[in-house]
Amino acid sequence: MTTAAEQPEMKDGEWALPHALNPGETHYHELSHTQVWVTLLDQEWQIRYQRMPDDVDQQRWLQTVSQVLPDSELKEQRFVRPDAGTQVNYLPVMSELPMVIRPYQPLTIPADSECTIYVGTLLWMRIQVGDKGTRLLELPLADPSMTWVGRNTMEGELCYSAATFARLVLDAVPKRPWRAITPVHIVNRQDAPLLLERFNLPTPLLSLHRNDMGQLWTPGVTVTCETGMNSARLRVDHNLIAAAGKCTLVSAAREQSSRGGLVRAYDRMFG
Amino acid sequence: MPEQIANSFSAFVGNIAWGKWIGVCFLLVLGGLLASFAARSVTGFMEDRASRHHTVMVRRLVFYLILTIFLIAALREAGFSLDVVLGAAGILTVAIGFASQTSASNMISGLFLLLEKPFEIGNVIEVETTIGEVVAIDMLSVKLRTPENLYVRIPNETLIKTRVVNRSRFAIRRVDLTVGIAYAEDVSRVEDILLGLARQDSNSLEEPKSFVLVTAFGPSSVDLQFSFWLPSNKVLEGKSQMMVAIKRALDEHDVEIPFPHTSVYAGSHSEPFRVELLTPEHSRNTGELDVDQKG
Repeated sequence: MTTAAEQPEMKDGEWALPHALNPGETHYHELSHTQVWVTLLDQEWQIRYQRMPDDVDQQRWLQTVSQVLPDSELKEQRFVRPDAGTQVNYLPVMSELPMVIRPYQPLTIPADSECTIYVGTLLWMRIQVGDKGTRLLELPLADPSMTWVGRNTMEGELCYSAATFARLVLDAVPKRPWRAITPVHIVNRQDAPLLLERFNLPTPLLSLHRNDMGQLWTPGVTVTCETGMNSARLRVDHNLIAAAGKCTLVSAAREQSSRGGLVRAYDRMFG
Repeated sequence: MPEQIANSFSAFVGNIAWGKWIGVCFLLVLGGLLASFAARSVTGFMEDRASRHHTVMVRRLVFYLILTIFLIAALREAGFSLDVVLGAAGILTVAIGFASQTSASNMISGLFLLLEKPFEIGNVIEVETTIGEVVAIDMLSVKLRTPENLYVRIPNETLIKTRVVNRSRFAIRRVDLTVGIAYAEDVSRVEDILLGLARQDSNSLEEPKSFVLVTAFGPSSVDLQFSFWLPSNKVLEGKSQMMVAIKRALDEHDVEIPFPHTSVYAGSHSEPFRVELLTPEHSRNTGELDVDQKG
């Protein structure tokens, strides 16, 4: 296995920055819990990836270009070159399924009050190649867990699930290149306190933006809980919060929110 | 004599209104062509907009509707009165009904199946001992493709009468595994190990929660039921992966998975069983040998 120690010339990786490779070269990445190898050959692109042990706590996205082909034991995926272009581009994308956010410790929002929690969500890496930016594949940067959200086991939908610290202070949120920060504003208009054990974040509706420091942000989400735990209105904001700084759009949302407006009523927003 | 036959034959042929019958044939052929064209157009239109089941149903409906209209028009063209045809059909139905009870029963069962809709094309169902994907729901039977890639035809009547399990109806399924552990093992420790495996496994769902129950004190093991939930399309691989993970985890934690044991107990009031090893020195000569050892 290739490790960081054997690759002294590792540089920091960056999203949406095309890299040109020569045939025979391999672009190697270490980020999150994943190692990725993208190889350009005369007629094809090859992609290999594997997970790193959980105890490795990566802080940076490291990448390098080498002439050596990756280990033959790694399972490869081969793609015919769509055109003569030699660039490879890495784009972050949000998950295809909604993400259920589960605070390690449940958070209570008292009656008639509101708060903003900052949630870091796992991203998928979309690999595009060639002059036309042909999409080869999307891979999650860690193995996501799955869960079922619904009234019973007959009605509902499959979602990804992620544990979170549900931080209320933005500075406490660890900034990683492979995590997108979403501010979730929760308004409790009920007479009773709202116990936040789980929250269904509609990630396919969120676009991804990058600021000057390379951090990824999504527009904020406002959830208003008026009548009961099982129904809430959700609105995806048009703009990013001021704390994100000056941002540029990196990838658009997978789905557009319905009804032209940005309001969606959810049945099982809070688990 | 041959002349008479020839004359009567020519008179018979001359009496047939050829133009009318050609018109009838034309109507039937046109009906068939238009019906199949319309059915194909409906398939093309609905393929991306509706499920395979609905597409097939609407396609059949359109096909038979158009064909029936043209058939009626052809009968009128041929000079049949529709009242007479329907009357004859009534008598015919009674006659055919007696002769083809099974087919009629299957057709009516097929109608009920369409109305009740216990499964759709593409679902995986289990009928008696057959498991397979539904590839067609027809007038008389339902066709399945089994995992061994066999084409199985099941009469509609059977499907109405017997228990049918639809494995694709819901998006998630619970898998129950029976894990036997030795009596010497700590059950709660094993329970923690199993629940830990469910948490680590990426196929296993977080909600609904996994659980472990003690189901029996077996002859040689304490039997546990380990239940966890999987997406319906990952049941086979998810179950297999989990069983491999259970074996590995129990081995790592030195938890014994027992096989059937038999303990022979001699009782406290009796002497232990005497076991004596027989060596050539101790073996007694039990009699004369039949053959001369020297050859």
